[in-house]
Amino acid sequence: MTKGLKADLSKCTGCQICALVCSATHTGKFNPSESRIEVKDLFPEPGEFKLNFCRQCDEHPCVEACPAEAIVINDRLGLYVVDKEKCTGCGACVEACQYEGCWLDPSGSYSVKCDLCGGAPQCVEVCPKGVLKR
Amino acid sequence: MADGYTGKVLRVDLTADKISTEPLNREWAKRFIGGKGLGARYLFEELKPGVDPLSPDNVLMIWTGPLVGTMVPLTSRYAVVTKSPLTGTFLDSYAGGYFGPELKYAGFDGVIIKGKASKPVYLWINDGKAEIRDAKNLWGKDNFKTEELIRKETGQNRARVASTGPAGEKLSLIAGVTSDLTRNAGRGGGGAVFGSKNLKAVACRGTLGVDVPDIDGFLKMTKEMLLKDVIENPDHAGSITDGTPIIVDMSQNAAILPTRDWSSGEFEGSAGINSDAIKEKVLVRRKACMGCGLACGSWVKARTGKFKGSSTEGPEYETIGLSGSNCGISSIEAIVKFAEECDKLGLDTMSAGSVTAFAMDLYERKILTKKDTGGLDLRFGNEEAFAKMPAMLASRAHIGDVLADGSKRAAKKIGKGAEKLVIESKGSEFPAYDPRGSIGMALAYATSDRGADHNRAWPVAQDAYGSGDPWNPEGKAAICVEDNTRTSVKWSFIFCDFYAVSFKNMAKYYTAVTGVPADEDHLRSIGKRVWNLTRAFNAREGFTKKDDSMPERMEKEPLQSGKTKGKTVPRADFEKMLTDYYRLWNWDEQGRPTKKVLQDVGLDDIIAKLPYLK
Repeated sequence: MTKGLKADLSKCTGCQICALVCSATHTGKFNPSESRIEVKDLFPEPGEFKLNFCRQCDEHPCVEACPAEAIVINDRLGLYVVDKEKCTGCGACVEACQYEGCWLDPSGSYSVKCDLCGGAPQCVEVCPKGVLKR
Repeated sequence: MADGYTGKVLRVDLTADKISTEPLNREWAKRFIGGKGLGARYLFEELKPGVDPLSPDNVLMIWTGPLVGTMVPLTSRYAVVTKSPLTGTFLDSYAGGYFGPELKYAGFDGVIIKGKASKPVYLWINDGKAEIRDAKNLWGKDNFKTEELIRKETGQNRARVASTGPAGEKLSLIAGVTSDLTRNAGRGGGGAVFGSKNLKAVACRGTLGVDVPDIDGFLKMTKEMLLKDVIENPDHAGSITDGTPIIVDMSQNAAILPTRDWSSGEFEGSAGINSDAIKEKVLVRRKACMGCGLACGSWVKARTGKFKGSSTEGPEYETIGLSGSNCGISSIEAIVKFAEECDKLGLDTMSAGSVTAFAMDLYERKILTKKDTGGLDLRFGNEEAFAKMPAMLASRAHIGDVLADGSKRAAKKIGKGAEKLVIESKGSEFPAYDPRGSIGMALAYATSDRGADHNRAWPVAQDAYGSGDPWNPEGKAAICVEDNTRTSVKWSFIFCDFYAVSFKNMAKYYTAVTGVPADEDHLRSIGKRVWNLTRAFNAREGFTKKDDSMPERMEKEPLQSGKTKGKTVPRADFEKMLTDYYRLWNWDEQGRPTKKVLQDVGLDDIIAKLPYLK
């Protein structure tokens, strides 16, 4: 059983409000490129949206792949999160993830992935179409 | 400075192959906000009067606004601002989608482009830097392919592209600017200005973000507004459930749905092209622009019939009215095909639909024959012939060569009485609300600053769609003045038309993003300033009362059925509305802003540049 966000893509309209609120919450700026959730608009074919974010999957190959041991369990939340201080930005986790759930910050210096905003995910709160669930 | 603006403007000289970055004119930003207003001020300053819009001397601009790219709902828009080759007026044309925010994330509030490149190029903007790139491989490609190729070439699959299609390359005056495949700054011929400059596209990608002063307070406020003022706002119910196609039935009921080149206000096939038809037959999914909780857009695909597989976003009400009922087309799949072709080829669906309807009318009257149409049997309702029209327009084949310059110029070239039939004002084809069933729309079309248009004033909402009297000229001017003021502010921020946002709430957003104290009065004064500025721009180009025109058919040809049976727009009523309108704006008898008005609205700095005031 995964502990991450769940998404009903059939309801997604591609408004990116999740990415806007995520970037503002984590970086203090509106900047979808620094969001922990990525909205992909795939048109004209296949004509759908895709949401990329960390599933907090049981296999967590990112943890094993990280040479810096920077992806650590947060005991309170029971989630794997990136320790920005330890992360070297090598991208091994990005390679290892089968969900396209993490990526490097635009500066390329560290990996970012969903931390569920410490327990109260903002994207879930604001999604106007009820796509995202905890 | 965290105030929503990036503070930077990109300046491009295509003739000299030079790019520079300059600070945003902050004083103007305070007085004109962004989008329409700021674009108008820059254009007024930088464009010499009387310039041929398709010459290298025309100035082409792309503007955003301070709210664009933030979480203020329904502000993900950009404006294409230039002198219109279709109308010769000021032109501001808008598109939603994702391009506007991306331009800001890439570091710029606006882009100012002058000159003409010696060969096809595109502009690539990435995180504060820009370059002029060779577009040899893009020239001739449709808008869908152009986006795909630019993403491949730049290696940026999140690049956003605003491009002109083949229609604009061939200088069609009804060519728009297309972004995110299916979002169009359609009206006024901006695509032809791109083409005239050998500019295929402006593409951008940015990771710089947009700052606001108090992010925590701002998030709290916008989250609440998104819920209370957008999603739960009763004025938005139709946008959530249907989008603009909901208007088809409203217009049919009011008998103002343009039908067979404006010969009727009721279309017997309307049930085949209304919102229910879209939902039942072609809807794939609802689609939103960035930051919008409504998602009025529809991604559609024809599932059966001769247009099976055709796919695009929309069609919006204007497309349905002008290319559907007005062409006698009762199949939503045929309209999807037409709209897809227009999006790919870069044609304004409104004008393309209108010139097609016009050509069909001329064909039925035998003013045009198969010799002109390249063999097409261009009867009203002939879906196959209809679906071939965008390609004919974009390639300028046969009669398409003449129609590609809009119906006014086409009528003049065709002659044989065609001039008496054409439905336009200042060369811009009418939107899909027949003024004979809402006479205030005749005033709205005549006085729009970019030629006939519904996004500068929309009195139809209060009469044919509301409880007012659609044929009483009294009070129509006041509605237009109020709408002009409000839309001038909305298009300066740049809000979407479909956000029924109050002045009070616009002021709240404005202050939260920029830190500038503002209230309703403050914004109203900006709206009046902006509307007077675009009017003064047009007056400087030589526009006078005679150009605030209404086509003869509105006056002389009564509609035939339903609520508008026997109705016209009497010339005397039109003149009365126009006189009232000039009086309410305190303009001179030629409809030009006077020195006193310009001083009152804070435009002292342009007075010396208006020859008619000397």
